This record gives sequence, structure tokens and C-alpha cells, in this order.
Amino acid sequence: MKFRISRQMVYILSLAVVFLILVFVFAFAFLIPNGKAYRMARLDTKKISYQVDMIQNEYDKVYEELKTLQTDNRHVVTAYKSIFNPTRFKKMYEPHFKSFTLSELRTHSQDGEFAVYEVNTSSLIESPQGFYDFLDGVNKSDNIIGVNFPINFKREANLIKSSFTMHVYIASQDKKASSKE
Amino acid sequence: MQYSFIKPRAKHLVSPEFKLLFFFFSITLGMLFASYSFLKIKTLVYEVTIEQKIEKGETLKESIASMHEEIAFIKLQRRHAEGIYTENTVLKESIHNLFDLVPEKITLSQALLKEDELVLYGITPSKEVYEFLLQAPLRSIFHRSYTSYYAMPNGWYSFVSKNYLDRQTQ
Repeated sequence: MKFRISRQMVYILSLAVVFLILVFVFAFAFLIPNGKAYRMARLDTKKISYQVDMIQNEYDKVYEELKTLQTDNRHVVTAYKSIFNPTRFKKMYEPHFKSFTLSELRTHSQDGEFAVYEVNTSSLIESPQGFYDFLDGVNKSDNIIGVNFPINFKREANLIKSSFTMHVYIASQDKKASSKE
Repeated sequence: MQYSFIKPRAKHLVSPEFKLLFFFFSITLGMLFASYSFLKIKTLVYEVTIEQKIEKGETLKESIASMHEEIAFIKLQRRHAEGIYTENTVLKESIHNLFDLVPEKITLSQALLKEDELVLYGITPSKEVYEFLLQAPLRSIFHRSYTSYYAMPNGWYSFVSKNYLDRQTQ
């Protein structure tokens, strides 16, 4: 039995073989490496997305903590930033005394992250209660103020002359970075 | 006049079989290039996404570090302020207690309070009254207590009481 293949069939078969080879070359040279790169990129994206989500969660948690702290300690934070205003201070606390005078505010020292300013006061009070009320009021003032020794009480007729030192604390912003828990 | 026994057929440059073959080849090539382009574009998109995510992660980390510093600073401020408020309250209580300690029979003319020292000036009807009613409680508070008396024309005594706290050295 004689098997005859036409010339056209030979052309078609040859083209098909060439095409097949081209397809294989293309697949191995470009498609497969690109497929691998795609798969790697997809995996990396998933991995990094997960990591970023974790960081985002931590960020949200820390942000929430910061906001809560800022809200809870609004008075303290504002007080440390406030500039001491002697006129306003005098006006606020004068009612506790018969007379109340403040010396000029001057730089005293550095207490860690806080700059300490000193102001001397002298006052006349009718009874020690005025001084107690003043000490209660100082803890609610616009600044962070500590009343310091020496404190001198001296009788003057029916009044008590008192003199004492106050330390006003102001936060140094540039020191913030160095503060650690 | 007819020269052939068969009818003439139309001759084509490309036969229908080749056309069909080229059609299938084109479809295959198209699919290959489409797949290649899809993979290439998607990979690029993923790479851009990765870069953006890494950048976002870094920014978030920096923000977290900065917020931690801020939290630490607020906590430090709170502790410091609480310390000062407590000192003021303790000072108030101490002065309150000191004045409560002075009996009605004794009149103070001056009180000087220092960190570790208390100096009292006043008048007392007698030394005994002072010793029993004021010096005894002062001795229980301070480590060292010295009193000087000065007789007054009316028989009372003016006194100066110096009281010291010795700092504990560890």
C-alpha cells in the first residue's frame, strides 16, 4: 500500500511544526518566567499587605492610647506649655490674701525635661486658711507650680505676713525626644 | 472552441486550508501575547503596590515611634505634675498640722519653715507650759530640738525654738 502526501500537506505540517517550536520557545523564554514573577509578586503583595495591616493595627492602637492620654491629661499638658503670666496669677489668687505681691520671674534651674523658673511672693493673710486655700488653688492653676521652702510666717498686728518661693515648671519641647519610660 | 474537458477553477494565492491554519495560528499567538501582557501588567501593578505598601509601612512605623515618644512625654509630665501636686498638698497638711500643734496658751510670733528645719518664735506663760504642750510633740517629729527662753517683764517668756530633721544617708 502506497501512502501519498500532497505537497500542500507537507507545507502545512512543516508550518505547524515551526509554529509549535515557536510556541514552546515563547512559553519557556517569556511566559513561564513571567508567570513565576507574577506569582512571587502576588505572594509578596499578600505578605506585605498583612505586615502593613499589622502595623496599621498597632498604629490605630497607639493613636487611640495617645488620644486618650491627651484627653485625660489635657490640663497638665496645657499647663506645661503655658507661659507664666504674673498679672493673671495675681488676679486669680489675690482673693485668698489681704495683699499679694510677686517678684519678677527668673530662670532657676533645669529639672530633667522641665525648665524651672522661680518667683518670690510675699503676702498678708488674716488666717492660715487663706494660705491653705491658695495651695489648693495652685494645684488647679494654668501652670505647674510648686510652693517651696523657705516659708516664713510672721505676725504683724492682726495679720500674718507670709513669704515663700514658687517654682514654675515649663516643658522644653526639644527635650521631648529624649524622654523615655 | 473548447480546449479542455474540465471547467476552469478559480485559483487563489492562499488555499482555504492555509487560511484556516493561519486563523488558528493567529488565535493561538493572540492568546499567548494576551497572557504575556496580562502577567507583565499584573506583575508591574503588584510591584507598584508593594512599593507603596512598604512606604506606607515605613511612614506608619515612624508615626508609631513618634507617638510612643509623645506618650512617654505625657506620662512623664503627668508623673511630674502629680509629684508637685502631692508636694503642695503635703506642704499644706504639714503647715496645717504645725499650727494645730500650737496650744492656745502659746502665741507664735513667727514661724520659719525650711526643708529640714523649723524655727518658731513666740511667747509662753511658763517654760513648763511650752515644754509639755509644744516641745514634747515637736521632739517626736524632729531629730534635734533646741529652745532658748527670754524672760519678759510681765513674767511670761519669749522663746526661740529651733528644730532639725537629720537627713537619712544610705
